[in-house]
Amino acid sequence: MIVAEQKPLDEIRRTIAPYEKILILGCGTCMTVCNAGGEKEVSVLHSALKVAQTRGRNEAHSFLEYTVKRQCEFEFLDMLVDKVKEVDAILSLGCGVGVQVLAERFSDTPTLPGVNTSFMGASKEWGVWDERCAACGECRLAETAGICPITRCAKGILNGPCAGSKNGKCEVNKDTDCAWILIYERLERLGQLEKMRRYYPPRNFCPIPRPRRLVSKVDINLGGNDG
Amino acid sequence: MYPAQGDVFKSRSNDAVKKTSFNHTLMPPCQAACPLHMEIREYVDLIAQGRVMEALQVIRNSNPFPSICAYICSHPCEEVCQRGQVDKPIAIRALKRFAVEFGGDRMIQPKAETTHEEKVAIVGSGPAGLSAACYLRKLGYPVTIFEAYSELGGMLRVGIPQYRLPREVLDTEVRRLIQMGVEIRTNTRVVSLDLLFDMGYKAVFITVGANQSRRLGIEGEDKPGVVDAITFLREVNLGLRPSIGERVAVVGGGNVAIDAARTALRLNAKEINLVCLESRQEMPAFESDIQAAVDEGIILNCSWGPRVIVGDDRVTGIEFIRCTSVFDAEGRFNPSFDESVKISFTAETVIIGIGQIPQIPEDFHLRIGKGSTIRVDPITLTTNREGVFAGGDAVTGPATVVQALATGRQAAFRIDEYLQHRYPLVGRDERETLTGNLLPKTIEMIRKLNRFEPPVLSPQERAEEFEPVELVYDWENAINEARRCLRCGMGAEILFQDKCATCLTCLRICPYHVPYLDDSGTVRIPVEQCQACGICVAECPAKAIVLRKPQDRRHIDEELNHVLKSATQSNFKPLIIGFCCQYGLYGTGTLASLWREAKAGIWIVPVLCVAKIETEHILRAFEMGAEGVFIAGCGQEQCAREDTAFWALQRMEKARKILRQIGFESQRLQAFNLHANDEDLARALDEFSEQIGELYLASAIGQEVKT
Repeated sequence: MIVAEQKPLDEIRRTIAPYEKILILGCGTCMTVCNAGGEKEVSVLHSALKVAQTRGRNEAHSFLEYTVKRQCEFEFLDMLVDKVKEVDAILSLGCGVGVQVLAERFSDTPTLPGVNTSFMGASKEWGVWDERCAACGECRLAETAGICPITRCAKGILNGPCAGSKNGKCEVNKDTDCAWILIYERLERLGQLEKMRRYYPPRNFCPIPRPRRLVSKVDINLGGNDG
Repeated sequence: MYPAQGDVFKSRSNDAVKKTSFNHTLMPPCQAACPLHMEIREYVDLIAQGRVMEALQVIRNSNPFPSICAYICSHPCEEVCQRGQVDKPIAIRALKRFAVEFGGDRMIQPKAETTHEEKVAIVGSGPAGLSAACYLRKLGYPVTIFEAYSELGGMLRVGIPQYRLPREVLDTEVRRLIQMGVEIRTNTRVVSLDLLFDMGYKAVFITVGANQSRRLGIEGEDKPGVVDAITFLREVNLGLRPSIGERVAVVGGGNVAIDAARTALRLNAKEINLVCLESRQEMPAFESDIQAAVDEGIILNCSWGPRVIVGDDRVTGIEFIRCTSVFDAEGRFNPSFDESVKISFTAETVIIGIGQIPQIPEDFHLRIGKGSTIRVDPITLTTNREGVFAGGDAVTGPATVVQALATGRQAAFRIDEYLQHRYPLVGRDERETLTGNLLPKTIEMIRKLNRFEPPVLSPQERAEEFEPVELVYDWENAINEARRCLRCGMGAEILFQDKCATCLTCLRICPYHVPYLDDSGTVRIPVEQCQACGICVAECPAKAIVLRKPQDRRHIDEELNHVLKSATQSNFKPLIIGFCCQYGLYGTGTLASLWREAKAGIWIVPVLCVAKIETEHILRAFEMGAEGVFIAGCGQEQCAREDTAFWALQRMEKARKILRQIGFESQRLQAFNLHANDEDLARALDEFSEQIGELYLASAIGQEVKT
């Protein structure tokens, strides 16, 4: 799941300053789950901005609030057409994808981000999220016992652990587990310790040509002729 | 001012607002078990909030004579109370007594207008008859009650001893009926129903009760000194003092036998032996009454069958043989005895209370069924004669007062339908009932709380007179007892499944581990387990969860808006808004008086537990112009629910974080414990308002300087 964090209120207030009517738009999927931009957070932000207005001078915004199921799909945004007509800007509490899809769909209305999209991760417990995947495009989890060294090792090294590993913790942050110790322990558990003996050649560090595109539909080849 | 949610546009949630006005609560087991279907959960909750007059109003809505039930109801509700699975059931009857005494029941003066001309006759003035009379008057019919004895009340007057139901209580209710315009004909035994129809009555309700004592059928039963319990109780209750010996034997194990034994004690009998067929566990009398009898010194002798009453001219004793079992393998009454084991009691008086049967005059020409009772259609209460309805003990055999009251009410509605030529609409409004027990894991998490019993007179004090044995709660105990209620069937539900992002917040934070994922991956909140604490409702990031009771959903918003209106009118600065737990407001002199008298500038928003306050509510208070906001909860120790204080503080901290970013000082938002002693609370509150005053002054000056 995509994890994000709401931007500081000051920053939000600065970005919306030039606009009078603003639509605060929540997202009903990842942003709801990570408590950054679901319907509830939209209301809280709405209230917070209004409280701020009572304090500040020369601020006379009016807000609308709404939450769509997923901001990253054009179809969900179609139902916003009438609302967007009424406003000067959209303050999106969707992830970076959502903000951009919005901007593309409503090309005449400024679209402002309300959250900082942080990482892809999992929930450790209520209110705590940990990064788990860096979307590197070359998954090695089969060799590393289902634990990603690229994400979870501070250095992202493929042949660990390094000398900075102390008592199973990382030298960068002693509260963080050393990913390579975790990998070792789990390989031992699985009876696959021989995988530790292998040398893993470096990852392809060539810059990934961005933006990436993924096509899951196939081209139809009626004759079935290869090549 | 804060615009009501979505007054500018319709949000996704607002489209659903219409749906949310529905009441999704399930009927709790207590209400389902009550023959009158009283809204027990609602009035117990109102008592817990200290709103006793409203509680009484709820009680009066569905009970014609709450003061009578408050004393002697057999409380089937308590038998099924879910709290009973955790520790002990809520003391519902005692709470009703509290509401009646403290809610001003004596002041209530019901009125009724005659809107129909069809006259209705009620034969018999027991609880069923009185109840029918009350409701028929409310429906607008002229009603006449015919009573064979000199006073109204039936078994309430001649059967139930005064120490259980004071006569003033009954007299008050009877007086109210007269005020409502019920015509009373006492000392009038109805001998023929035809005569009633000839007198112009269009419908008759027969509720003559079951007054004929069953006979033992053993030798010596007609000797002087042998009396049946019903006659004995009637004589005592009508003010006669029948002479009884020093040693009394009472035969029977039911409520009537117990009443007779306890009454004999109050007539100065020295040794009272209560002898019954049943074993101690099988005795049909209410356990609390049996215990009271034992406390007062009555000797129980169980599993004995009477064989012969001995004596020459008068009774001198009674002999019993061992009863080995009362019921046969199929559960039918079929006692078997062991003749070789015998016991005998010396007694100058033998009272026989082994059950009663109705005695229906033959001239009524009614079809009689099993146990000499009148046969009726159980739904419409009609008999074999047109326009003649019957109910109460005369139909069911000896039953409870609350059942009789319910039958009386049912009869009133059925008679109304009959007279207005309407098809009987039975069970039209029935609501879904909560079924299913609490799971062991839920029980484990629910806090165990002692049941507060109302005080009783000591056994020594009791034996001397006919004063009521049970006293009424004081405020503190009543409220503490009411707060034990688990509020079954009104918990949280995922009303908007389409909004649910399956984030699992509810599942992770529920203190009772109630929400779960079903096989299809959908989150479910089983209603029979939910404790209605409201924590998940306030935390759900998708706002998909609501409380089942519409009032619970709107409560804080409405109170807040109300406060805003009043505060705007007063225009006193600086404005302080306090969210206070309504359950904890009692006993906290400072806040309670603030709430009632409103100290200048401080406005209290009563909330039903601080766990229901959301960050948004706090922010809204500031938005409304509050210079300071405080939350006053009961503290985790005093709250009947788990984790409530933790979540209230979480939300407060979250609000503080936001407020700091806006430039509000953290001191402007504080939490107090309502159960701190009054002085501490008063001081903390004074300090708080002083602090807010200073902050307000400083910011006002600051603004002045800038402009």
